[in-house]
Amino acid sequence: MTIRDLLRNAFSNLRRRKLRSFLTIFAVVIGAALVSLLVSLGVGAQEFLTAQIRATMPPDVLMVGSNPNAFQIGFGAMGFGGSPEEITDDEGSPYSLAPLTPQEIESVRALEHVERVDPYIMVSADSVRLQNSEKRFRTQLTALPDYLITSKELVAGRYLNDDSQGECIIANQYLESFNFDRAEDALGQEVVIQVGQITSFIGLPTKTKDYTFEIVGVAEKTLSSTQIMISIEDGKEIARFWANEPELYTDEVPPAILQVKVEDSQYADQVAEAVEDLDLGALTSADVLGLVGDIFTIIQAVLSVFGLIALGVASLGIINTLIMAIYERTREIGVMKAVGASQGTVRRLFTTEGAAIGFLGGVIGVAIGYGLGFIINQVSHSTFLADFETFNISVFPWWLIVGVIALSTLIALLAALYPAHRASRLDPIEALRYE
Amino acid sequence: MIELRNVWRLYRMGDETINALAGIDLEISQGEFISIVGPSGSGKSTLLNIIGGLDSPTTGTVVVDGQNLSKASDRELSLYRNKKVGFVFQTFNLQPTYTALENVALPLVFAKVPLRKRNEIARDTLETVELAERLGHTPGQLSGGERQRVAIARALVNDPRILLADEPTGNLDSRTSELIVELLQRLSKERGITMLLVTHEMMIAEHANRVIHMLDGQIARSTERK
Ligand SMILES: Nc1ncnc2c1ncn2[C@@H]1O[C@H](COP(=O)(O)OP(=O)(O)OP(=O)(O)O)[C@@H](O)[C@H]1O
Ligand SMILES: [Mg+2]
Repeated sequence: MTIRDLLRNAFSNLRRRKLRSFLTIFAVVIGAALVSLLVSLGVGAQEFLTAQIRATMPPDVLMVGSNPNAFQIGFGAMGFGGSPEEITDDEGSPYSLAPLTPQEIESVRALEHVERVDPYIMVSADSVRLQNSEKRFRTQLTALPDYLITSKELVAGRYLNDDSQGECIIANQYLESFNFDRAEDALGQEVVIQVGQITSFIGLPTKTKDYTFEIVGVAEKTLSSTQIMISIEDGKEIARFWANEPELYTDEVPPAILQVKVEDSQYADQVAEAVEDLDLGALTSADVLGLVGDIFTIIQAVLSVFGLIALGVASLGIINTLIMAIYERTREIGVMKAVGASQGTVRRLFTTEGAAIGFLGGVIGVAIGYGLGFIINQVSHSTFLADFETFNISVFPWWLIVGVIALSTLIALLAALYPAHRASRLDPIEALRYE
Repeated sequence: MIELRNVWRLYRMGDETINALAGIDLEISQGEFISIVGPSGSGKSTLLNIIGGLDSPTTGTVVVDGQNLSKASDRELSLYRNKKVGFVFQTFNLQPTYTALENVALPLVFAKVPLRKRNEIARDTLETVELAERLGHTPGQLSGGERQRVAIARALVNDPRILLADEPTGNLDSRTSELIVELLQRLSKERGITMLLVTHEMMIAEHANRVIHMLDGQIARSTERK
């Protein structure tokens, strides 16, 4: 029997008992819709997080730390699973970093494919306010090399370059805080950023200092809603005050973490290895994305369990339906055998019918899951996600659509194996006598 | 062409053993028209089913066209049923949801003949049983005689060497029975098909050139006619 005829037979049998076929398929539909919708939500969240990580850490940039454990990420480093790791002196602890030496910085700079090396500037500011206003707002001050600044999208103004002094780019959300109707209105305005020395973290009396910046650009809306970007040079100056260390980021007190830009993202792993050969720590954006991917794989697996349970229950319905069909069609099976159907052919007739149920259920289920996801996206965009038009909570990549249809088809086919075996073993003579 | 040597078919019912066939020796040549008669339970259907490859003997050998059926696998037997034999049953055994055309084409489905081709062949075959204008009807929309003619067309569609008819007229009135048997006789003559016809009615058995009388699983008597 040809595959065409197997399919023709399967679908015409499904049409024969419409209500029963509908109910059996419906159970598969629920499972497939659940699996696809839940996984699509996981994919949406992962894509969102991935995009955020990409924005702060492009694939051609890596972080270099002063010891090999500097960026140990993963479950082990977080302290669950396994016994606590011994800390040996020369490796240092992942939670404290010594400064790099000038020689180490030079050898990183000298590595092949390294384009430029900047210190990773750590600063913290207490507040920001408009020059002529007393209203103070929280802020996250970020000093970045120009290539990282130009990787962000602006809605107004221009980028900073490495020589910029006293210029900043503000997060989109400040427009509302500062009461600007249009992004252009913010340009040319001055903000005052108050910085308190790091000792304030542990409650010691501290000095504060005000720094004034001109707004030259307004960033597109992202999750970093309080970010104010300044140039590396301005960042160094503020950091020296903040850390109370006038020699910070000089050869006297070099940085503990470097931002390394490679010529092309394809060299990131190669450079990371070379860095590790220098007995330093390296972190690429692929490392971070890999960890995020691992976490989301687990989340998606857990989410899809509910749908898989539904599919498992649906497979019981398929077994039941097909066994009923054997009783109904005993004589017909006998006739088929009498005119030349082998046991294998009868088996294929039934497994194809089961697979057809799974396939139809999978297609309809994914369509429904997709529809529900679409509605969720629409609703969320008009409510709590109004500011993130490009972010969809529910995302259906092609592999999810194909995968869920294939999975329902496979589960249904497996469920059909036992009924198919029984049908194939019918004795044709008894089947032909069956009333 | 058909050769049975010491064929036994036993059924075990608890402690009892029923000899449906008890040592059958039989030789049939190509193109013969044979009637099998005998009382109920004498083993007529069992004999037919074994020759048709639907059943296997408990002991003994069945050789058809050089092929040893008693040693054949399920695949070989299904192929044999598909290509070499056609069955006609007392109860017609048509697929209730299929049209006449689809019923006739069914053996060709298992022979992997493509749809268009098999509809063509099935239509021609329905013509030879004079049912060309009924091909869209389902069995429920056909009379008993018409159903049996559809079943005969189905048995013929694969151009078999052997036609096995188990009381094909058992559910038909005498006039229709006569027409059906004449049809079978004509077809076997025209196409040189070997015919085995099980019947209760002597009137019908008369059409054959050999009548085999069965009793208690054995061939009691065999009468040649001209
Ligand atoms: N599946 C079975 N289990 C047990 N006994 C069986 C089975 N099939 C047939 N028999 C027995 O084998 C014997 C021969 O049966 P068979 O059907 O060949 O008779 P028959 O000559 O065709 O009778 P009828 O004219 O009534 O159709 C009978 O005694 C019957 O009871
Ligand atoms: Mg019988």
